[in-house]
Amino acid sequence: MKHIQFATLMKALCILPLLIGLHTNLLAQHEVSGTVVDESTGEPLPGVSILIQGTDQGVATNVDGDYTLDAPAGEAILVFSYVGYESQEIAVAGRSEINVEMISAAILGEELVVVGYGTQRREDITSSVVSVRAEDFQVAAPRDAAELIKGKVSGLILSTTDGNPTGGTDISLRGTTTISGSTNPLVLIDGIPGGLNTVAPDNIESITVLKDGSAAAIYGSRGSNGVILITTKSHSGTQATLSYQGYATVQQIVNQPEFLSADEYRSAIQQHGVAFTDYGGDTDWQSEVLRNPASHNHTLSLSGGNASTSYTASVNFEDTNGIFLRSNNQNLRSRINVSHSMYDDALSANLNLTYRAQNHFHGSRGGGSFSDNVWYQALIRNPTDNIFNEEGGYQERPGFNYDNPIGLIREVDGETENRDLRFDGSLTWRPIQNVSVQFLGASNRGSHLRGYAESFRHFTTTVDNLNGYANRATTSTVDNLMELTATYDQTIEGHSINVLGGYSWQEVTFEGFDVNNRDFPTDLFGYNNIGTGSGLQDGLAGMSSLKWQRRLIGFFGRMNYDFDNRFILMGSVRYEGDSRFGTENKWGWFPAVSAGWRISNEAFMEDLEFLDELKVRGGFGITGIAPTIGVTQGAYQSLSSYSFGGQFFFDGERNEWVRYLQPSRNANPNLKWERKEELNIGIDFGFLNRFSGSIDVYQRNTKDMLFEYSVPVPPYLYDQIWANVGEMQNKGLEIDLQVEAIQTQDLSWTSQVAYSTNSNKLVSISNDLFQSETDFLYFGGIGESVQLPSHRVDVGDEVGNFWGYKTIDVALNCDYENAQGECAPDGQWIIEGADGQPKTYFDLALDDRQVIGNGVPDHNISWNNTFRYKNFDLNIFLRGAFGFQLVNETRLFYENPTQTGINLLDTAFHDVYGKTVLNNEWQYMSYYVEDGDYVKIDNITLGYTLDLNSLGVSYARLYVSGRNLHTFTNYSGLDPEVDVSGLTPGYDGRGRYPTTRTFSFGVNLRF
Amino acid sequence: MIGIYSCTDLSEDPFNEITEENFNPTERDIPRLLGPAYARAWFMGCCYDYISMQEGAGDSYVTPARPNGWGGPYLPYHYHEWTPVHPHVTTGWNQLFNGINAANRVYFQIEGETIQTDSEQQTRLLAELRAIRAYYYYHLMDNYGDVPIVTDFTDESLPVQSTRQEVFDFVVAELTTAMPNLSEQADNTTYGRMNRWAALATLARVYLNAEVYTGTPGWTEVINYTDQIINSGLFELNPDYRNNFTIDNNNSNEIIFAVPYDEVFAGGNTMHMRTLAPEQQQSFQMAAQPWGGSAATPQSIETYDEDDTRLDDTWSGGPQLDLQGNVVIDFSFNIPSIEATEFRHGYRVNKYEIYPGMQVASSVDLPLFRYSMVLMMKAEALLRTGNADEAATLVTQVRERAFVETNPADAVVTGAELQQGSSFNYGIWDGENEQVDNPVGGNDIQYGRFLDELLWEFGVEGFRRQDLIRFDAYDKPWFKKSSTNEPCRTIFPIPQEAIDDNPNLEQRNNCFD
Repeated sequence: MKHIQFATLMKALCILPLLIGLHTNLLAQHEVSGTVVDESTGEPLPGVSILIQGTDQGVATNVDGDYTLDAPAGEAILVFSYVGYESQEIAVAGRSEINVEMISAAILGEELVVVGYGTQRREDITSSVVSVRAEDFQVAAPRDAAELIKGKVSGLILSTTDGNPTGGTDISLRGTTTISGSTNPLVLIDGIPGGLNTVAPDNIESITVLKDGSAAAIYGSRGSNGVILITTKSHSGTQATLSYQGYATVQQIVNQPEFLSADEYRSAIQQHGVAFTDYGGDTDWQSEVLRNPASHNHTLSLSGGNASTSYTASVNFEDTNGIFLRSNNQNLRSRINVSHSMYDDALSANLNLTYRAQNHFHGSRGGGSFSDNVWYQALIRNPTDNIFNEEGGYQERPGFNYDNPIGLIREVDGETENRDLRFDGSLTWRPIQNVSVQFLGASNRGSHLRGYAESFRHFTTTVDNLNGYANRATTSTVDNLMELTATYDQTIEGHSINVLGGYSWQEVTFEGFDVNNRDFPTDLFGYNNIGTGSGLQDGLAGMSSLKWQRRLIGFFGRMNYDFDNRFILMGSVRYEGDSRFGTENKWGWFPAVSAGWRISNEAFMEDLEFLDELKVRGGFGITGIAPTIGVTQGAYQSLSSYSFGGQFFFDGERNEWVRYLQPSRNANPNLKWERKEELNIGIDFGFLNRFSGSIDVYQRNTKDMLFEYSVPVPPYLYDQIWANVGEMQNKGLEIDLQVEAIQTQDLSWTSQVAYSTNSNKLVSISNDLFQSETDFLYFGGIGESVQLPSHRVDVGDEVGNFWGYKTIDVALNCDYENAQGECAPDGQWIIEGADGQPKTYFDLALDDRQVIGNGVPDHNISWNNTFRYKNFDLNIFLRGAFGFQLVNETRLFYENPTQTGINLLDTAFHDVYGKTVLNNEWQYMSYYVEDGDYVKIDNITLGYTLDLNSLGVSYARLYVSGRNLHTFTNYSGLDPEVDVSGLTPGYDGRGRYPTTRTFSFGVNLRF
Repeated sequence: MIGIYSCTDLSEDPFNEITEENFNPTERDIPRLLGPAYARAWFMGCCYDYISMQEGAGDSYVTPARPNGWGGPYLPYHYHEWTPVHPHVTTGWNQLFNGINAANRVYFQIEGETIQTDSEQQTRLLAELRAIRAYYYYHLMDNYGDVPIVTDFTDESLPVQSTRQEVFDFVVAELTTAMPNLSEQADNTTYGRMNRWAALATLARVYLNAEVYTGTPGWTEVINYTDQIINSGLFELNPDYRNNFTIDNNNSNEIIFAVPYDEVFAGGNTMHMRTLAPEQQQSFQMAAQPWGGSAATPQSIETYDEDDTRLDDTWSGGPQLDLQGNVVIDFSFNIPSIEATEFRHGYRVNKYEIYPGMQVASSVDLPLFRYSMVLMMKAEALLRTGNADEAATLVTQVRERAFVETNPADAVVTGAELQQGSSFNYGIWDGENEQVDNPVGGNDIQYGRFLDELLWEFGVEGFRRQDLIRFDAYDKPWFKKSSTNEPCRTIFPIPQEAIDDNPNLEQRNNCFD
């Protein structure tokens, strides 16, 4: 159905420009020619687009920068545009030769950068703000908007930690600032809250990241994790254009873990006497669930307008398939934007309609997409076992959490549909030249519907006797936003002032319904006739619904002052309230100040001609951290209330069970904002028209950090309470450098480096009311029989420390004795005890655990290179992280030859410490902690721009691209790029959806 | 909608909770409010905590490492090597104090007439709440020793630690005070609730162990309280021992106090899941694969009289069949090791009925006091006060149903026999040779035979730790545990978490100084 609609729409979009183009050839013509050169170098510029304003007619310059075109005889205006240069509009005025010098946008310095509630000239920015324009985006097959700016923004660590096509990018900005608050950056699409997937990457014009507190404080409580401002493409000028961007990709798994084959399994039994079971078969379970899928993505955009009205419409269709069977993601996204201005621009209106429909396979109970359990089961399944048993059913075997992966993937049916419809519009009134008043309203209606069913051949029926299982769930989110802003601009004798004031009101209402049933008469209906199951009558079906609402209200103001392009001052404040906090603490102040000095504009610097730009700047700002409580753990943590719990057997005579009522929680009416105070000092520089960059240092302290404290019962109702107690600190350095290494007519090379380092410290977790006697917190958990936390953070130390036992040796031939003087058995771990002395596994105690690594990289660096040779362009992007460790959980569990009920890594039978094979139960040992340092060839893209002007195509480019091409590392796991944000960084869990290598072929066309 | 009209309104209006302002309970809500005070007893039957602690620390029950895990946190029970951070030590403490807290809260609401009741019902409910609270304190005193006593819900100060003697006095006083106002009904209307008989049984149990708690024995009181129950004539031994552990055991006249479980309404009893082998799933058409961990120690199986049907009524051994009659697994009585075993090693618990189509949760109620325990408590008090023959009569009465179909004559036990030592072959088990290498035996245990009787009658009911301590047999070596000789192991440490949270608490247990 959807495909038909899409095709119809494509046809409609194709016909429109033809109609628009028809009338233009009716006027008289005369020939205009000339040469286009770079203003600073004088080099001719090939490929500059020249369009006759108001028409779709145009040409591009040839390799010598020359052009010729037929212009209408009247008052034709030519528009010269080229990537990285300012566009110029030049009236023909009867001339037949027009030579043009193009001015580099960067040098021109008039570039406007989107900031909170407005734009600023780049040179006026006094905070840590990075803006990336579409022409500088990483281009090959991005999963979301964040991937477009990978490696372009120092301090913003973007990691692709799995290959799931429904997955996104893990984002971490300037270290871990919170224990239980939100770690997501605020994403605004043209000022409206949204997600990194709300609009198709091809519709994005620019992405700005507000990194420091002074820039983000205008967004108050949502600003601490940075603000990502996405600006979508809009039309300018009168030329209608139609463009198409499309690509197709193939994907493969980057690395496969080397588990034993059936032959190796059998030889382990025969040669080493390993107590594996030989079922006589031979199945490569990994191959049975993996594939090398193809995917494709198309975007068609149409834009146009006249002096007072413009429109942009686009549609994007994405069909991505993952490396596992049935793993996929389909998106249909469309966007329509119409703007109009009237009364000499005194009143303008802008209306947007954005729609996204996402469909993907959904393979397990609960949420999610592809079930990682399939992969996990494929890894550990006995390779001598068969897929099917003699009766033709799936071969199941006893064992806890040990299920046939082929049944898990084939005998389920599931689909998730997400619909997101957003209306937004703004009305801007300029009563006088310097004053502008804007009203903005937005309503975002999101819905989620999913169904999931297990057939009669699924193990839940063949083994667990459920007779089918089905689940249907839906949620609805309504996010309404209203904002009123006013600005005033004035420039008098070198004093330039800009004042902004505003009010913002946002209300989010979430509703959900979920039902499951079992014991069906047939499995033919899947989840589509859920009432036919008997689970409801038997009391074994589940049903739930919920609703919550929260509001966020803010008043804000900002003043920018500039004196003589030399001294710049900014002050802002937001007063914001959140309904989720305690009665007395709902509101908070979030002020910021920043200042800059453009040294290069001082008179005494005039002689230093090599210097293009030198600016020092500093800013301080306070932002809040939005709580995650109220989203995942029930909304009303500050309120005293009662909820229904389990059932109580009240009256045996009537056999009556009643649902009992109990207090919902330890209410804390004092809950308030976490506040992050951040100081940022930076320097921006540029010289010789070639080198530019910036350096920032920062310190961010999070105070009143929310954490769920353990408290005594009684007097408390429950043993946990949320309270604002802790303090965390992050300090760091960020360097961005850009070099235009070569700039000649035929060849250019631009190189860009982004480096960041951050150090983190948990300052305190106690205050007067809530004193933690332990000065550390545990996070993470290692399952099975290990049952230990993976990470520990000590007060005064950094987040990300692994807390386990340090191995130093294994015992062999009685070379170690335990405390009772008995020989340590061969192959058992010898650890370093708490006293620093060797200790046998027999004597191991919890107190022997110590820091055995840290999962947060000390250094992150990325290096991006863009080459242009004639019509070829080449982009090479490398990225690396250094100074961190990883817990290789796959080795911890599957490099252990005592585990004979499952398949194991081939390394399980290698000698440990060069002595003997391991003979020890699973344990959290430093032996499985490895250095994670890596350098990745993240992306190589080779493009060729074709001259198809004769065919009416103003721009045409073909490219091939490879992503995640190679990783240089000593890490033995699949991919050292794991999630490094949050509280359990560096934990490379078994069963993670493996990362992929992608090859794409793409086409960009503009008509 | 109000928000649209008020530009600074941030009030919260929960859609699925009852806020304090909207909380106006009526008499109809009493069972709903009473529920939490009882619900905390559910953990007792649950697999991870109460039974693991009480039986796992004893000589007859062990959870060794299995091919799918286990071992881990369960091994410290066997070795008596738990620590203040052991998860179950923490859970037990928290669950008991949560129950006390709930009882205090509802007590406050009823006494302060937040909930309107007539005065007769008010008196009865308050007595019941005091009794269930005392029951929780009995467990705290038994397991943790010196614990804080909190009775006032409105008191926000940090609780102060009391001595074990003080808690003992408190439990006795509370139960005695509540007694006259507790319901005397012993039928379905008070099933699972603290009626007079449950309170009397608790008192008897507390006095049975009084010497352990306070240094002063209370045998007279045991006889006094058990006699009150016996003389009521309301209870009798169920002719079929198994009827006390079936899905319908709420109908057994032998049960004085129990935790009601239901696979749909009240999950918590998962004994079948943690003991059966995964292979047995199809034998019972179960909805989930059993986890297969806990089993009988080989030495405990050896103690049973071959004619005692309670062996088969408590443990499954030998070949186990599926529905078609095929052998799916053959349980050996030997468990070769504690660190690595196969699923087939060890006899499994079948005391609590395993019925077809079981879910993860069982509908079998967990008896906390049975009439047979009342008889055995009285018998023990008689035995220890020089009335061995009278005691033997009661023990014989309890034994009779276990031999009625095999060898009725064997049921008879004499006073002289009860004064003998234990037949349990104490010592460290050599799994390879299926024997105890250096047995120390149980001959030296005073009234050891009576201790054996308790194992046979009350196996896997959660009393073994108490019994071994009372009979001074807790330090004996068994299965893989050596003789620890640490009296501090007779109680669990106060959880580290509780000490961290409340500076008034100190670890007085010298195992953890």
